Amino acid sequence: MLLQDLSLKKLKNALLNKEFSALELTKDYLKEIEERDKKLGSYLSLHKATAIEQAEKVDIAVAGGNDIPFLAGAPFAIKDNILIEGTRVTAASKILENYEASYDATVIKKLKEASAIFLGKTNLDEFAMGSSTENSAFQLTRNPQDPERVPGGSSGGSVAAVAANLALAGLGSDTGGSIRQPAAFCGVVGLRPTYGAVSRFGLIAMASSLDQIGPITKTVEDAAILFKEISGRDVFDATSVNSPGRGYGDELLNPKLENIQKLKIGLPKEYFELGLEKSVETAVNSAIDSLKSLKLEFREISLPHTKYALSCYYIIVPAEVSSNLARFDGIRYSRLTNLKFSNLKEIYLNQRGLGFGGESQRRILLGTFVLSAGYYDAYYRQAQKVRSLIRQDFENALREVDVILTPVTPTTAFKIGERIKDPLSMYMSDIFTIPSSIAGLPAVSIPVKNRGGQLPIGFQLIGNYFREADILGIGQFYENNT
Amino acid sequence: MPSIDKKTIEHLAELARIKVRPEEEQRLLKDLENILKHFEELRELDIKNTGSVVNTTLAKNVFRDDGSYQNLDCVSTVQAFPDDENGFLKVPPVFE
Repeated sequence: MLLQDLSLKKLKNALLNKEFSALELTKDYLKEIEERDKKLGSYLSLHKATAIEQAEKVDIAVAGGNDIPFLAGAPFAIKDNILIEGTRVTAASKILENYEASYDATVIKKLKEASAIFLGKTNLDEFAMGSSTENSAFQLTRNPQDPERVPGGSSGGSVAAVAANLALAGLGSDTGGSIRQPAAFCGVVGLRPTYGAVSRFGLIAMASSLDQIGPITKTVEDAAILFKEISGRDVFDATSVNSPGRGYGDELLNPKLENIQKLKIGLPKEYFELGLEKSVETAVNSAIDSLKSLKLEFREISLPHTKYALSCYYIIVPAEVSSNLARFDGIRYSRLTNLKFSNLKEIYLNQRGLGFGGESQRRILLGTFVLSAGYYDAYYRQAQKVRSLIRQDFENALREVDVILTPVTPTTAFKIGERIKDPLSMYMSDIFTIPSSIAGLPAVSIPVKNRGGQLPIGFQLIGNYFREADILGIGQFYENNT
Repeated sequence: MPSIDKKTIEHLAELARIKVRPEEEQRLLKDLENILKHFEELRELDIKNTGSVVNTTLAKNVFRDDGSYQNLDCVSTVQAFPDDENGFLKVPPVFE
């Protein structure tokens, strides 16, 4: 089977029917990475030896006639802000250049139990801050569809790897769109789970009230499979919860058309007024038409505080970032070794000054500002109030409809270097993904089909709290019937 | 909009313990000014009586039993220290 035809769904049967072995599959991916990743730049480090070891274990299980987990033998690309014990984890930052993880993230533990394979760690914007992966301290990642363009960010590396068939699936993290936006730019599926659905233990924290780890896959069906594996309450993450009600059961993995057809989809007028590139508007409308032909009902809705979401986000996030990144002092985790200061304060000032890149510094300083005496009420407190207004907008709308459909990005992938000098223009690429993050709702980016050779475009489905089954269900029907 | 200038940047850098290079200061100031200008629309909203988002998770009162637990394996944690002695992280003196 060709790598581009493979999916998580097909993998188990292929292994059990001995179409190929897990070792052959892993070696194929490693070979592809060796041949093509120099140009693409998606991986920061490879775990060749352990990947082969993990694959051999799967083959022993298959040979022994044992049943294997669904994800057994699946080669993964893992964003380099997720900890895998005993391996380097850098958050694409010089300040963590020599840090080795001393424990596994909970999602990694779960994937290990499912006998998945880790091919390596992928590139990101430093500390997950950015929308293009250009903020990585180490290397550039290019869009597999057009090497002159960005893959999006901050999960650009794992998205590019999956899109280029250098991994069968990936894990990324999404705070304001860092899974969904690159997924839309590269033509793969990216899910941001409900806040609290997936444990953040072992994810290098950026904005703790917004961060979520999520699946990056080639199909919506694969996203559902992977999401089921990684979700669930974790005692090590006090903000994680089990999904209330029936949990993530059959409806997640086996959606039924007659249930899906009962869902009402809202189109928020504010999102379609916000300055879309023509190609994006046309593509998203084609997705809407396709869903209408599946007899899904659409309604116009309003999310009145949408235009305040960007400001709200860029006050709250830097505030949380300034707190979360305070731990990186150049003493505890990793040190820039060519610096020598004997005075503690000088160590902090210089390790952090040289260890953090521009965007990280900008956000830390902005966060320090909005939290400082005299400005806290005007900015941070105000932003928290706006946050509750934005949540209310969604909660009101989700009484009328079940799912909300929007574009993912206002444009297709922009060129490398185009926005990096103007932070505000970079922030603008997240205007459609930020609001649902602020509300903590699940949202998935699905590639619009039949684009031919043109740049990928995604459409976004936002669901109610813990209703990943709704958005992934609609997504699967779109995928199978368009 | 509050006026921010070079002194503000220097104060923030001191608070955040980040040494900003002199050539970066100007750019940082301009970037921060532009971003803060954008925030003015938020400040104009009259929402004195709106409550803030307090809890972003469904979880309430998450407690564990009052006992001692070994979460992290000490050996690998210490191994990850850049500089250690007898299982402790070696740091420069805090007091001069």
